[in-house]
Amino acid sequence: MSVTEIAGRLAGVDAGAPIRQSSLWQDAWRRYLRNRGAVAAGVVFLLILAWCVVAPIVSPHDPNRIAFSDAYQGPSWSHPFGTDQFGRDLFTRAALGGRISIGIGFGATLAILGVGVVYGAISGFVGGKLDNALMRFLDALYGLPYLPFAILALAIIGTVNFWTMVVALSIASWFITARVVRGQIITLKENDYVRAARAVGVRWYAVLGRHLLPNTLGVLVITIFLELPGVILGEAFLSFLGLGINPPDASWGSMAQDGRDAYRAHPHIIVIPSLAIATLVLCANFIADGLRDALDPRTKET
Amino acid sequence: MPLLEVADLRTHFFTRAGVVQAVDGVDLTVEKGKTLGIVGESGCGKSVTALSIMRLLPTPPARIVSGSIRFDGRELTTLSERELEDVRGREIAMVFQDPMTALNPTLTIGTQIVEVLQRHLGLDHGAARRRAAELLDEVGIPRARERLDDYPHRFSGGMRQRVVIAIAIACEPRLLIADEPTTALDVTVQAQVLDLLDDLRREREMAIVLITHNMGVVAESADDVAVMYAGQIVEHAPAHELFASPEHPYTEALLAALPDLDDPAARERRLAAIPGRPPDLIDPPPACRFAARCPYAGCGDGCALEPPVLRELRPQHRVRTTHPASERTTVPA
Amino acid sequence: MAAYIIRRVVWTVPVVLLVIFMTFTLMKQIEGNPFRKTERAVPAAVQANLERKFNLDRPWYVQYANYVRGVATGDLGPSLVLRDRTVNDIVEEQFPRSIELGLLAFGWAVLLGVPAGVLAALKPNSRFDYGSMLFSNVGFALPNFLVATLLIYFVSVKWGVLPTSGWTTWQHKILPSFTLGLVPMAYFARLVRGTMLETLQQDYVRTARAKGLRRRRVVGVHVLRNSLIPVVTAAAPLLGYIITGSFIVENIFAVPGIGRYYVTAVSARDYSVVMGLTVLLSIIVIVANLVVDILYGILDPRTREART
Repeated sequence: MSVTEIAGRLAGVDAGAPIRQSSLWQDAWRRYLRNRGAVAAGVVFLLILAWCVVAPIVSPHDPNRIAFSDAYQGPSWSHPFGTDQFGRDLFTRAALGGRISIGIGFGATLAILGVGVVYGAISGFVGGKLDNALMRFLDALYGLPYLPFAILALAIIGTVNFWTMVVALSIASWFITARVVRGQIITLKENDYVRAARAVGVRWYAVLGRHLLPNTLGVLVITIFLELPGVILGEAFLSFLGLGINPPDASWGSMAQDGRDAYRAHPHIIVIPSLAIATLVLCANFIADGLRDALDPRTKET
Repeated sequence: MPLLEVADLRTHFFTRAGVVQAVDGVDLTVEKGKTLGIVGESGCGKSVTALSIMRLLPTPPARIVSGSIRFDGRELTTLSERELEDVRGREIAMVFQDPMTALNPTLTIGTQIVEVLQRHLGLDHGAARRRAAELLDEVGIPRARERLDDYPHRFSGGMRQRVVIAIAIACEPRLLIADEPTTALDVTVQAQVLDLLDDLRREREMAIVLITHNMGVVAESADDVAVMYAGQIVEHAPAHELFASPEHPYTEALLAALPDLDDPAARERRLAAIPGRPPDLIDPPPACRFAARCPYAGCGDGCALEPPVLRELRPQHRVRTTHPASERTTVPA
Repeated sequence: MAAYIIRRVVWTVPVVLLVIFMTFTLMKQIEGNPFRKTERAVPAAVQANLERKFNLDRPWYVQYANYVRGVATGDLGPSLVLRDRTVNDIVEEQFPRSIELGLLAFGWAVLLGVPAGVLAALKPNSRFDYGSMLFSNVGFALPNFLVATLLIYFVSVKWGVLPTSGWTTWQHKILPSFTLGLVPMAYFARLVRGTMLETLQQDYVRTARAKGLRRRRVVGVHVLRNSLIPVVTAAAPLLGYIITGSFIVENIFAVPGIGRYYVTAVSARDYSVVMGLTVLLSIIVIVANLVVDILYGILDPRTREART
């Protein structure tokens, strides 16, 4: 038996681990299902995703066809969300815009997670002076508004597309995630099974990869849904200010911008994409709450 | 007339899982200036009883469903919250189990003593501070005057419990309820705190309800003892009599579980544990709650069918069982 | 505590330098020198002159050192696009409005959000609790351009109660500040409710009740005080929210403030202004963090000593 295996046995994380882990997630899943609000939010969230994927494929309307004779129609059977100033079908366009908004949202969230995990894991795992310096740095930057930096980033890159938006929105948004990951790693490091593993000489990368990072997974899943709303709103703000997604591409933010001038006569053009954003953000918040309660049963005592 | 008389108190918790009958038939008598010890294992309803008397339980989920609590002839269960506020801290005070969390961490201990003096005795700030320093001195905190401006985290556990006691006795209450006051403390400090409580009781003619799971603590400082099991009082007697001739099988078992260090033969034996576990209080057994663990349950007197009542076996000695030790003819099966 | 404050203050210096450096480096990467704009053909000699005037011909570290020296003495340099105007002029003119907007928004949040949270926590699961939490959730999710548009649509256009845009009379200030205050309001309501519920269950609150203190004192002194500590801590991240939100709100309500000007400056490639404003906003946030940390130490005596 190798040293690693012995440590694993000692730590109770070799043979026994997969079963324990899966039951941990099963328990969390069961708790999540008991939370009606979170389940409803999850269903609506999936419905929005499905609409964004399916609607443009099955829609009889060309989302980019300009027909001024059809402009500014209110909701009807053939155009459930009405049409915009160019006579384009908003039901289809909103679904297309959703693809971009949600895509950028998940892209930037994953980027935030990536940077945050690396930064937080290094800080928490190495500890000592480095940890101190990295955290002081984060402390000072805590709450730095991401929007000016996103605007700056876009100005530097010079072009606006899906990927540059992802970069712009994640560049000044990862501080909290890094701090959370670091906190988790520090807490986990104090656990006896990690101490046992280190005591018998398990290499640092094995400790990190086997004992620490997998146990931060729950927190990361929650973080996805905590960060997603901010990023989606950020994209909307940039596009609404005319600094984000450009025509002919559309995101919910740029569609809202399209409706801005005509809001008095035709409020539906700005309201529909805005409500799409609001619904998605609301769902993400509820899902995050539900996940937190499900994955951390201690908080659900009351 | 006794100072405190609790009769057939029932406090239930209405939860999603069901109604927890945490206290379901508690009868207590506390004489003026005497100490009543309430013993029982954890979860038997001792603390709920104490909090019910103080009316400090969160409602919902908890509610006193029936029974009476008479303090000095006054019925407490029907008092309004505002009237209760005049009783709490003034007539009845309480000392809690964990001194580490019982004090507000963001206020100086001076503030926390002064506020109760001002509330009930109407002292002005200066007088209240002087009195607070005297109180700290009285409970044995050195350099009392200087320490008034310290925050709780500057005190050790034992010292904090002394502060909590100082707050409790500040307005010279006639009854002090101490809920496991020594459980969270180091063994060496436990005796000091108990001695302090006993001294204060004697000096001030203050009655004490001392809640504990520790028979040794009861033996040392209680005048009367009430034994609780699964939400009910099962035996209530003067301390010397309870230890000399316990009547309820549960009390007997508790006493048998105590290590006897003086008897060399006993030191070799294993400690006697009570088999089984206390019943679920959401769905307790319909008759005697101790039946499942009682060695005399199978003796055919129907104790498992009909709930036994608390009856006076001798003057001042009440017991809730159909087969008290002094009436037994059979031996355990 | 003094040692902690000093260390904390000292630490902000390198962080500020780093932020300036990052902003500076980023700005250097931007293509498009404002003097090389094709639409404004400038003779080569003039251009060289201009570049010399703005130190653009010097090595980067000299420029950086000059800039840091400028920031330290409160001089953010000249505007590259607007002649005869410095970044300081622009800040002095526009910033007070943004500060006023931000403070008013914060005022709304404290005035409505904190009491909503307190009342919700004192009556959990009541109708008021559900209502305010629904409001809080929705307030979080609605993009503020929708809130702004709806408020203008109903309050200004349909009912004609308040003006649609501008920043002159107090009537002009209601809608923008309310819109900007909505997210902090929702945040406070939720945060205060959570911390209150937690504090209400603390043993020391039970002790306070066992002392027979009046309910008003128990809630006011023992519960509120401890529940509001997190509110102070939350003020710093909320400042970030408010700055971000001000970009949109100032834009929609045509408030001539920093947030709106920032977007204009980016489009005009007035990068000394963009840089000056970015550095200014960052320093404000960093200083706010500093203040909050120190306040936290004062409010919670436990951390006071742990931190020395």
